[in-house]
Amino acid sequence: MNAIPIELIHIVIAIALVAGFVGLNGLVLVWVERKVAGHVQRRPGPYEVGPNGLLQPLADAAKLVGKQLFTPDGSDKLVFWLAPIVSFLPVMPMFLPMPFSPFLTAMEVNVGLVLILAFAGLNILALCLAGWGSNNKYGLLGAGRAVAQGVAYEIPLLLSVLAVCFMTGSLSLTEIVAAQGNWPWQWNWIYQPIAFILYFTCGVAETNRAPFDLPEAESELVAGFHTEYSGMGFGLFFLAEYAEMIVVCGVATALFLGGWKGPGAAGAWWFLLKLYVLLVIMIWFRWTYPRTRFDQLLNLCWKWLLPLSILNLLVTALVIKL
Amino acid sequence: MVFTWLHLAILVFFLVGIVFAGVPLLGSLLVAPRFTGGDIGMPYECGMRPYGDSWMRFGINYYIYALLFLAFDVDVLYLFPAAAWYVKAPGFMPFVKLFVFMFFLVMAVIYFWAKGVFTWPKKLS
Repeated sequence: MNAIPIELIHIVIAIALVAGFVGLNGLVLVWVERKVAGHVQRRPGPYEVGPNGLLQPLADAAKLVGKQLFTPDGSDKLVFWLAPIVSFLPVMPMFLPMPFSPFLTAMEVNVGLVLILAFAGLNILALCLAGWGSNNKYGLLGAGRAVAQGVAYEIPLLLSVLAVCFMTGSLSLTEIVAAQGNWPWQWNWIYQPIAFILYFTCGVAETNRAPFDLPEAESELVAGFHTEYSGMGFGLFFLAEYAEMIVVCGVATALFLGGWKGPGAAGAWWFLLKLYVLLVIMIWFRWTYPRTRFDQLLNLCWKWLLPLSILNLLVTALVIKL
Repeated sequence: MVFTWLHLAILVFFLVGIVFAGVPLLGSLLVAPRFTGGDIGMPYECGMRPYGDSWMRFGINYYIYALLFLAFDVDVLYLFPAAAWYVKAPGFMPFVKLFVFMFFLVMAVIYFWAKGVFTWPKKLS
């Protein structure tokens, strides 16, 4: 009898955990988002389904599955249906190097950060396909915006991440976390405050969240790139967006907030706590700030964030060598 | 190229991603109604009949941004290997090299800035 290699078992367990985590988080975040939105606007939010509306996301999911899948006339059917799947495709590999704790990492990858950033770029392609395939003018305009915004904000994001890499001298998320101390003033956000703020701003823009949700701005573009998607087609874009929020906040936690480390017992709970605090801040942004105009959005990136991030990187490099 | 466990893991994660996305879509195909006819397949344009095809030529103002991105992103990629070794590299020379590299990147932005790429509304020529 052939023995099953231990690595294979490892991978299977990891993927089961990650898939469970992504699914569960989608449900939890939908509920959190609606509750936060409700309380920001001084109403209780979902209330009827389950205790405090806890089962509302399940009801929503069931409703979405029960809706008809339209394909608009004259659309490119292959591209149209490829888009939601492509949008979801990179989500799982992005959790591969995510260091929840020293024992709870799907796989130790010494270029984990590059892996995440590389797969994050694939999402833009999905939005582009969705907008183009749906033969809808709003969709096309939304896709154009999504691409312009996605690629613009990727550069300050890379540069702010690089500042931490220059400090630590490693591209592995696990090692970057291990290089930080147990106390909040030993984490990287103290050494790299500008990079942290830049990274988080760019992360909000990369996930197309308000105030940077121009690709799906409902007041001008109906729903942007996913105007024509009904039911589960829309649901998949939504789920992918939430999963990407988790990835963005997870990387921020690992790079700037000390990952699994914290005062007292270090472990996955610290990582999850910081992750959820960042996620709630992101949701809070959405329901607090008004949407920017598109030229403001692009110029904010190219005129402010980019020079700032380059300056930050150079100063970091200089200080390391002094 | 050696096929390692990492490659297998990425492939497995990709496949599970497809299944994860595909199962709800299949469920929808089984459960959801399939109404056809009428104007149900008409692309949405605020309730009006769509005016012309949407696959037409129109001026995308963002294409210069895309060019700028291309120049930048390819260059920034080279900084990742540099970042991994920077702390261990002895002497002050690495910083000078990094500075020269970044200087030319910044020059690109300044050039575009002076050319008026960042001023809106654009003069369409």
